[in-house]
Amino acid sequence: MYEGKTYSNKQINDDLLSSLTKSSLVYWAIVGTLGLIVLVATVAVAFMINKGLGVTGLNRPVMWGFFITNFVFWIGISHAGVMLSAILRLSKAEWRRPATRAAEVLTIFSLMTAVLMPLIHSGRPWRLVYWVMFPYDFQRGIWMDIRSPLVWDPAAVNTYLTSSILFVFVALIPDIAIIRDRSSGIKKIVYSVLSLGWRGTTRQWKFQAIAGILLSALILPVFVSVHSIVSWDFGMAIAVKSWHSTIFAPYFVIGAVHSGVSGVVSVMILMRWLFGWQNYVRHEHIDALGRLLLVIAIAWFYFLLMEFMFGIYGQEGDELATRHMQLLEPPWMWFFIVFIITAFLFPVPMWLFRRVRRNLWLMLITTISVNIGMWLERLLIIVPGLARKQVFTGTWYTYAPSIIEITIIGGTFAMVLMLFLLFAKIFPLIPLFDIKEGQVLQDKIKVGKAEIPAVIREE
Amino acid sequence: MATQSILGLYENAEYAAEASESLENAGFSKEEFDFLTDTPYPEGALGERHHSHRLYVFPFIGALLGLSTALLLTIGTQISYPLITGGKPILSIPPMVIISYEGTMLGAILFTIIGIIFESRLGPNLKNRLYDPRISEGLIGLIVDCNESKIATAEQVMTQAGAIEIKRK
Amino acid sequence: MTSYKDKIQISVAGEELSASIVTNDIANNFFAHRRSGRMALFLFGLIFLAGIVAFITKAMDGFDSSQRANWGYFAALFAFLLSAAGSAPLVAVGFRMTANHWRRPFARISEIYAVVGLLTIVCLMPLLALLPPIGDCSSGPCRKTLWFTSEYWGVPTFWDFAGLLALVVCGIALLLVSALPDIAQISALSESKSRPLLSKLTKFWTGTQSQWHIHRISLSLLGGFYFILLIGVQTIINVDYVMSLVPGWKDSILPAHQALTGIQAGVASVVIVAFIARTFGGYKKYFPMESFWSISKILLALSLLWAYFWFAEVNTLWYGRMPVEQNILKLVMFESYRLPFALNFSMNFLLPFFILLWNPIRKSVIGPTVASILIVVGSFFMMVRLYVPAFGIQDVTAFQITYVPAAIYPDFLDLIMIAGGISGAVFIYLLSTRIIPILSLWEVKEGLLYQRVRPFLRGEYQVLGKPK
Repeated sequence: MYEGKTYSNKQINDDLLSSLTKSSLVYWAIVGTLGLIVLVATVAVAFMINKGLGVTGLNRPVMWGFFITNFVFWIGISHAGVMLSAILRLSKAEWRRPATRAAEVLTIFSLMTAVLMPLIHSGRPWRLVYWVMFPYDFQRGIWMDIRSPLVWDPAAVNTYLTSSILFVFVALIPDIAIIRDRSSGIKKIVYSVLSLGWRGTTRQWKFQAIAGILLSALILPVFVSVHSIVSWDFGMAIAVKSWHSTIFAPYFVIGAVHSGVSGVVSVMILMRWLFGWQNYVRHEHIDALGRLLLVIAIAWFYFLLMEFMFGIYGQEGDELATRHMQLLEPPWMWFFIVFIITAFLFPVPMWLFRRVRRNLWLMLITTISVNIGMWLERLLIIVPGLARKQVFTGTWYTYAPSIIEITIIGGTFAMVLMLFLLFAKIFPLIPLFDIKEGQVLQDKIKVGKAEIPAVIREE
Repeated sequence: MATQSILGLYENAEYAAEASESLENAGFSKEEFDFLTDTPYPEGALGERHHSHRLYVFPFIGALLGLSTALLLTIGTQISYPLITGGKPILSIPPMVIISYEGTMLGAILFTIIGIIFESRLGPNLKNRLYDPRISEGLIGLIVDCNESKIATAEQVMTQAGAIEIKRK
Repeated sequence: MTSYKDKIQISVAGEELSASIVTNDIANNFFAHRRSGRMALFLFGLIFLAGIVAFITKAMDGFDSSQRANWGYFAALFAFLLSAAGSAPLVAVGFRMTANHWRRPFARISEIYAVVGLLTIVCLMPLLALLPPIGDCSSGPCRKTLWFTSEYWGVPTFWDFAGLLALVVCGIALLLVSALPDIAQISALSESKSRPLLSKLTKFWTGTQSQWHIHRISLSLLGGFYFILLIGVQTIINVDYVMSLVPGWKDSILPAHQALTGIQAGVASVVIVAFIARTFGGYKKYFPMESFWSISKILLALSLLWAYFWFAEVNTLWYGRMPVEQNILKLVMFESYRLPFALNFSMNFLLPFFILLWNPIRKSVIGPTVASILIVVGSFFMMVRLYVPAFGIQDVTAFQITYVPAAIYPDFLDLIMIAGGISGAVFIYLLSTRIIPILSLWEVKEGLLYQRVRPFLRGEYQVLGKPK
């Protein structure tokens, strides 16, 4: 807060609601292009469902490929939202204010996209209803098998998605009320209904504050469970040795946070440029996120190291073959090199320097680099593991994606960005009241001759 | 006697806080006035009343309901189709822990949301209440609900404290 | 807004504190040698001595790798001291890094724990001799190890020892650097009871701006190193002394779990000493409720994390259902060592969780203290259920264990050793508090600069300065 100027509440409303009111040609050009890509990907999905999974590169023994990699990737990205906004709310970090909503919205859209991946991957999505929800046959009571990790997944993801949507909605109510007061006609009616009659009484604000803290505390354990359960989709099996590792749950979670927080930083920088929010998304915020990323990245690296070391520790044939494939056989070897450079060796030493953390271009490049690396990390876990498994396997074989898979994967990236931009047309991406509150709580104290920025703290 | 409401609009929080102080000096209790703001102020800063609540009960009820539903689902499905898969016993505890955990958390969160909406007294009935859209732009509203007989006093005190406009219903 | 009269407040009672009051208070407390303090020192010293005698008696019975099974409890004691005392300085390191004001009264308490490291080094030395050889897989039986090689490169003994030594040196350096300004000030204050050694050590400290600058940088560098070293040492100690001694136990989260349990026990140990200092040490006003409230939340989060790591381990091994996995689960949790496991599980997770779940309890002094005592005891049982069974296994070069070994119970000497070791840690800690004040003078005074109480509109609020 301290490096920005103070604005009147009206000015803040004008600035931060500009994404709703003003439409630049660039904005619609971007949305249009993204929409086109999504359309192409949708056609590819339809084609694949019509023709069958044969049009993908999936084959025995590698039955999980790009789709599942992408599923894990987007679940990972979705971890930024809650982790950032909940932890920063609980620790009362002042610099969270402009970041929380964008992070939470990124959670929702990436989670929705992630859910699509196994649906598409199944080839016959309608069957999923039987696997995870209703008995296959009511007469004979063939219920889903809760002992299968594939049933835990929808339970966790649905809990997380429902909670995040409600979390975002509750924090949106005061902002919706502002849009309501500024609009007319049919728009006013819609926003009036959504604002639930918010007037901003002291009681309403009190519960808004409690909601922020209480929901954060409740949603954090859910966030940890989601990626853990995703990791158990892999870790429960003994057939694939390199997956059957006890560290998988925290390793996936910390990896998700690594990629997710990087994703939030990229998105915040892009938002600042696209909507001209120089006064709200400031260098000090990106700097603080950069320092956070540094800690996360080092922790993640420890878990990566442990996972790898214990892969070799067991000295079992198929596990060693998997590691051999990851490290020494092209093209996986090249993927591995790119992965370790982009996810760790390149960005992390850069973040050590304050000047890098305060340079938006460098932060954008490093954070995108992390996500390239983290996508490859998931690919490197999934494909070599399956390609070199021994149990129930007649042959070792590798995998290459087909053009259909690549199109669909490209479509998911376009979809998340497009939904994000469309959201910005309907609701503000930076919480208005949070920024205003930050200004109210801003203060200064004198220490000796110097004036030091300070903040008023409630219990 | 019927109660009446008036709404005074102030340009900033200092004036509004002074107005609440003057109201109290003029014999109004904290229960009789409230503020409408577009910014959350620290609790007690405007001299508003204390709000008691039972929000913390909601997550516990939700958690209990969620847990029992999840237990019912996990136990029920395993018993109604008792097929041993992967050498794991019927009523396997680890998977039950996972599903129950998710159920508990979902219940707790859903009930917390309901609790927040209920405790904030939110509901789509703005039309009948005193309000001014300019509050969204930074004005502070001071709303007084009191006895008809005291309304005139309230209006006088509020104007003296610097209200730029007084609205009645 | 600067026209308001600021009140400086960190104490519970709402008394105003100033730098001179703080200095006098801490100095008076420091120089006031109470009889109870001397008694405690004597008592713990005596038990420590008994522990040493017990160790020697037991060592005379035989002391080599074939008699490892006798030394399981000693290994557990060592791991416990390394975990609880070794991780305690992280409270100061971590929350200094995030600039939390509530850490200030806890900071020195946590740093002094670094001196217990001297005791852990002494404990590790005999354990090094007990470790069976790794062996050369090409020419005979060998065991799995994280080092992937036989002993030619000084593995694992040299590296275990070097790692722990580096950790302890780093920790003591952290303590001395952090306490330097305080020692300088205290020795300047002491008239008759001058401490020649310390005043010589701190003569060069005059508190110039550049000295404070270097002081700050050294603290963050040493803190960072300490953190990394601690996780590294916990990892290799766990693999060398637990996992690699049980054939077929492949459990990648276990080292991280031990490190986490250590952090949990470390925070808890700090809370216990803080409680004693607050209640019996005359430092009541320096521990505002906010400090205990904040550290309770940390304790609660760590308890949840403990359960999470544990579940990640159990779930994976339980689902694998390979015989060796089932045997290991039975060994360390559900059969042979189910009593220490039950104590470990309830004291590290269940009880602290249900105690700290309630905000009014978190916001008290006694609540987090009770939870902390439970956590420290529970962590000891965690080390028992890991190290004792691992030391009890004889055929370490087997491919995997095909049976569930029976539990080994402590004999009388083990109990004396455990009591002696823990008393030794307390003894060393108490001794250090005679040289270094238990409250960080400069940190508390720094806190006074940045914490005010100030009216805002119609209320009074705490205002926290955020330098930089």
